[in-house]
Amino acid sequence: MKKASILMIIGSALLLGLFIFPLWNIRLGAPQYPDPLGINIHINGLQGESEFDIQNIDGLNHYIGMKTLPKPDDMWEFSVFPKVVLSMVVIGILIGSLGFFGKISSIWFLLWFVVMGILGALGVYDFNLWLVDYGTDLNPNAILKLVNPDGSPMKYNPPLIGHKKLLNFDAFSYPRLGGIFLGIGMLLSLTGYFIGRKTTVNSN
Amino acid sequence: MKTLIKINSLLIAFLTLITISCNQGGGESSNGALSSNIAEKVYVAPGERDAQYAFLSGGYSGNLTVYGLPSGRMFKEIPVFSQFPTSGYGYSEETKPMLNTSFGFIPWDDLHHPDISQTNGELDGRWIFANGNNTPRIARISLSTFETEEIIEVPNSAGNHSSSFITENTEYVVAGTRFSVPVPQRDMPIKEYKSNFKGALTFIAVEPEHGHLDIKFQLLMPGFNYDLSHPGRGKSHGWFFFSTYNTEESNTLLEVNASQNDKDFIAAVNWKKIEEYVNNGGGTKMPTNYAHNVYDESTHTATSTMKKEVLTVNPSEIPGAIYFLPTPKSPHGCDVDPSGQYIIGAGKLSADITVHSFDKMIAAIEAENFDGDAYGIPIIKYEDVVAGTVQSGGLGPLHTEFDGRGNAYTTFFISSEVVKWKLGTWEVVDRQPTFYSVGHLMIPGGNSRKPHGKYLVAMNKITKDRYLPTGPEMEHSAQIYDISGEKMQLLYDFPTHGEPHYAAGCDADLIMNNSKKIYRIDENMHPYAIKSPAEGKVVREGNEVHIYMSTIRSHFTPDNIEGIKVGDKVYFHITNHEQDFDVPHGFSMIGQGTSEILVMPGQTKTSLWEPKKVGVWPFYCTDFCSALHQEMQGYIRVSPANSNIELSWSLDE
Amino acid sequence: MKKNFIFSIGLCLIVTFMMMCTPQQSEKSEETSVVEETHPLGQASVVDDVSDKNILQVAAGSQAHTTLVAAVQAAQIENVLVNAGPLTVFAPNNGAFDALPEGTVDNLLKPENKSQLATILTRHAAPGSYDIEGLKREATKGRKIYTATGDYLEVVVDGDKITVGGAEIVATIPASNGVIHVVNKVILPE
Repeated sequence: MKKASILMIIGSALLLGLFIFPLWNIRLGAPQYPDPLGINIHINGLQGESEFDIQNIDGLNHYIGMKTLPKPDDMWEFSVFPKVVLSMVVIGILIGSLGFFGKISSIWFLLWFVVMGILGALGVYDFNLWLVDYGTDLNPNAILKLVNPDGSPMKYNPPLIGHKKLLNFDAFSYPRLGGIFLGIGMLLSLTGYFIGRKTTVNSN
Repeated sequence: MKTLIKINSLLIAFLTLITISCNQGGGESSNGALSSNIAEKVYVAPGERDAQYAFLSGGYSGNLTVYGLPSGRMFKEIPVFSQFPTSGYGYSEETKPMLNTSFGFIPWDDLHHPDISQTNGELDGRWIFANGNNTPRIARISLSTFETEEIIEVPNSAGNHSSSFITENTEYVVAGTRFSVPVPQRDMPIKEYKSNFKGALTFIAVEPEHGHLDIKFQLLMPGFNYDLSHPGRGKSHGWFFFSTYNTEESNTLLEVNASQNDKDFIAAVNWKKIEEYVNNGGGTKMPTNYAHNVYDESTHTATSTMKKEVLTVNPSEIPGAIYFLPTPKSPHGCDVDPSGQYIIGAGKLSADITVHSFDKMIAAIEAENFDGDAYGIPIIKYEDVVAGTVQSGGLGPLHTEFDGRGNAYTTFFISSEVVKWKLGTWEVVDRQPTFYSVGHLMIPGGNSRKPHGKYLVAMNKITKDRYLPTGPEMEHSAQIYDISGEKMQLLYDFPTHGEPHYAAGCDADLIMNNSKKIYRIDENMHPYAIKSPAEGKVVREGNEVHIYMSTIRSHFTPDNIEGIKVGDKVYFHITNHEQDFDVPHGFSMIGQGTSEILVMPGQTKTSLWEPKKVGVWPFYCTDFCSALHQEMQGYIRVSPANSNIELSWSLDE
Repeated sequence: MKKNFIFSIGLCLIVTFMMMCTPQQSEKSEETSVVEETHPLGQASVVDDVSDKNILQVAAGSQAHTTLVAAVQAAQIENVLVNAGPLTVFAPNNGAFDALPEGTVDNLLKPENKSQLATILTRHAAPGSYDIEGLKREATKGRKIYTATGDYLEVVVDGDKITVGGAEIVATIPASNGVIHVVNKVILPE
C-alpha cells in the first residue's frame, strides 16, 4: 500500500507540470511559413510559440473573419482551470498521504482518477466547443467569404487532435509536455489503485 | 539448425545490401555523361539551400551582390555607395546622410574589394567591408541585417584601390590610394608631380564590439600608385603588403611611361610598429575635412559628421617600419598565403609570378642588406627576398587565392585562364580556361588562415557569346570551378551584376543563423515611429507636415488626409507594424521626386514629397504584401497654398 | 562446420560482387581524361563578323601570314591574340618563316614542340599599343619594347626604315585590340 500511495502522490504532483508546460499545441504550417506559426495552450492562457506568432495568426485570420485569439481575461476557463488543477493536486496528495499512513483504502485513488477523468473530459469538450466556435463564428463582413462545394460556409476550426487541412494551411493539434504530465499523473494514480488493491487483497 | 537459418538470412540481407549499392554505383557511371555529373554538382534542388555565400563587388554599380555557391543564384543586391530605388537607400531621409562626403552628397561610387571580418585570421562572418574607389570611402556592412551600417570618407586619398582589406583580428581596415595627389590638396602644375605628390595609406581602426570606424593614422608614402594590398597573417601578422606601379612617378600616358621600370615594389609596412609610435604621441595632426556616416539600427537613421583632422605619419619619422620589395613588371595582385610566409606579387605585364618570403625579408632586414633606398625607404635586394618564381606559361597574371591545402590559384588576364600551382615547389599542376579575360578570382576564405576551399569563382571582364545577347552591353560573366580534386573542374557559368572586381565568400553556417528576420517594434527608437496604428497622426509645423503613418496588412493608417497645401514639405514617416519575417510594405506617392521606400517589419522610414498641384492624389503600397495588396492605398487632398482647409486624417470613419 | 562453409560461400559472393563493381569505375576515369585532352574553346571561337577585326582575324585573312596563323594554331595561343589587349604584334610574313633554316618550321609545328613554338611566337607580342609614331617615340627616348616573354626588343629608326629586334617593319595594320606590324624576319632570342 505504501508503494501505491507514493505513486498516487507522485501522480497528482505531476499535474503541477501544467503550471510550467503547455497542455496542448496547435501549429499552422504553409508554404510561406516554413517555420510554422504555433500556439501553446497553457491552462492560464495562450502563448505564441515564437514571440509574434499570435499577432501573425490574428493578422491572417482577419481576412476570413475569425475573431482574434482570446487573451486570458477573455475566457473564464483560463482563471478556473488553474484553480481546478491546483485543487486536484492538493486532494490527490492528501489522499495519497492518508493512504500512506493506512488511513484510507486505495479505492480513493480510483475515485480521484475518475473525478479527474470527468473533469478532463469536460475540459476537452469545452476546448472543442471553443475550437468550433472560433472556427465557425465568423464576421459577416469578412474580406474573404469562402464556401464549401455544397454552398455551406467554410469552417476553419483546427482539429481537436491530429492533422487537418485548412485552406493552404496544415493544422496540427497535439498534446504538449503539460498534457503528457497530466496523462502520466492520471495513469500513476490508476496504477496506484491497482497495486493498492492487490496488496490489500494479498494481506487479507 | 535455428542458428544456421539466422546466419543465412543475415548473409542474404548483407549481400542484398551490397548488390544494391553496387547497382547504384554502376547506374551512375553508365548514364555516365560527364556533364550530368557536373550538373549534379551545381544543382540545388527547389527548397534546398546553397553551401556557401559569395559576396561579389558590383564595381560601377556601387553595390554588393550576394550569391549562393554552387548554384550561382543571386539572392540580394545590397546598396552601399549608390542610391537604390528598390529599397529607397539614399532616397529616404534616414539614409541620405550615408552618402554625404566632403564633396557633398555623392550618390554613386565604384565598389571594388569586399572583405569579411576575421578573428585569429579566420572569417568570423560579422561584417563585410568594401571600398569606394572614386570618391575615397570605406563602408562596413552588417552580415546580420545585410545593410550598410557605416561609411567613412578617406581624406588625402584618390582612387581608393588598395582597399578595403582587413588585418587578421579586424584591428584595422586598410585603404591605400591608387592615385597619388598633392597632400594637402593645392593648386600646382601637374608636371611637378614627381617627388611632390604623396600616396596615403590609411589605417582605419575597427572598434571590436560594434565595428565603428575611426582613422587611426595615415602613412604619407612616395607618389607611386598603390594598387592592391593584403595583410600579413600568422607569422607575418602585424605587417601589411601593398603592390605599387608607376614607381617612375609619371603623370601622363601611364600605359607606356609607367611600364618602364623593370621592377616596381611591394611595400611592406609594419603597422604594429607605427601603431605603437602613434600611441606614444608620434605623428602629425593635419587639418582636413571628411565625412563619417553611421547608421543606427535602433533609430533606423543615419547621421553624418564632418571630421576636421587626421593623424599623418611620414615614413622618415619611423625608420625600420617600411621596406620596399622589388617585384617585376608593375605588380597588380598582392596576396599572402594562409601561413603568412609567402607574399605573391603578380607582375601584370610579366609571364611569371614572383613569390617573396617573409622569413627571407626579416633576415635581410636584420642583416641590413639593402639595395639603396627610395625616398629614404630601404629597398631589399630582390635576390634576398624572393622565395621563387612560378614559370606559369600564362600571360598577364593578376590575382592569387589559396585553398588551404598548399595550392595557390592565379588568374591570367591575357591568356584567360586560372593556373593552379604548388606553394614551395612553384610547379604548375593544372590550368583551366576562363571565359573571357579573368580579373579577380575568389575562393571562400581564400585570403585567410583557413580557406573554405571547395569552390573557386573566376570573375571575367569580357562576356561576348557566353549568354543570349542583350545588345552591346552584356553583364560580366563568372565561372565556378570545383577545386576539391587535384584538377580543377569547370562547373558553371553565371552572369554577374555591374563589374565584379574582388569578392568574398564563406560557408553558409557562418552567417545564415545570425541573419535577422524582423526589427522589433518595441525596440524602434526612431523619433517619428509610432508604436501602434492607433497613434497615427498628422502634425503641421509651418509649411512642414509630418505624417506618422502605419502599415499592416493590408491598409495604411491614416489613409485619408486633408489639409495639405501646395508648397508644403510633406514627410511620410512610415512605420511597418508587421512582426512577421519577409513582410515588408512599400510606399510611393504620385509625382514624388524621390524613389519609393521599402519598409521592413518593425522599421520606420521617411519619404519626402513636395506637392506641386492641387487635387486629390493617391499613394499605395509598392510591395505585393498580401492578397489585398491592391486595396492598400490612400488619398491626400492637396489644396491651394492660401486655402484654409483644416488638417485632418482618418481611417474608415 | 556447416556454419563455416556457408560463411565462406558468403565471402566468395561478396568478393565477386566487388569485382563486378570495379571495372565500371575505371571506365569512368577513362572518360574523364578524354574530355580533358580536347583543346578548350575560348574567345577565339566567338563568332562576330560585325566588329572591327582583331589581331587574329586580321592575320587569318592575310595571304602573307598563312605560316604564322598555322603556327599560332599549332601553339594553341589563338585566345591570346583575340584578348582585350592592347597588344602590339610583330607578325613575320611567310617569307620570314621561309628564311629560317630548312625544316625548322616543320619541326616546330610538331605537337611535342608546342611550348617552344608558343615561346617563339609570344616573343613577337608586346603588351601595349605601339603604332609607328609610338615606336618612333620609344626609339627617341631610348626605350626598349618589353615582350610577353619578358625579352626586350630594341627599336631602331633609320630614315623611313624601322626595325624591331632586328626585324624590319614592312607594313602596319591597325586591329581592334592593338596593332600588327608585319616584319620580314622571325625574331629569335639573342
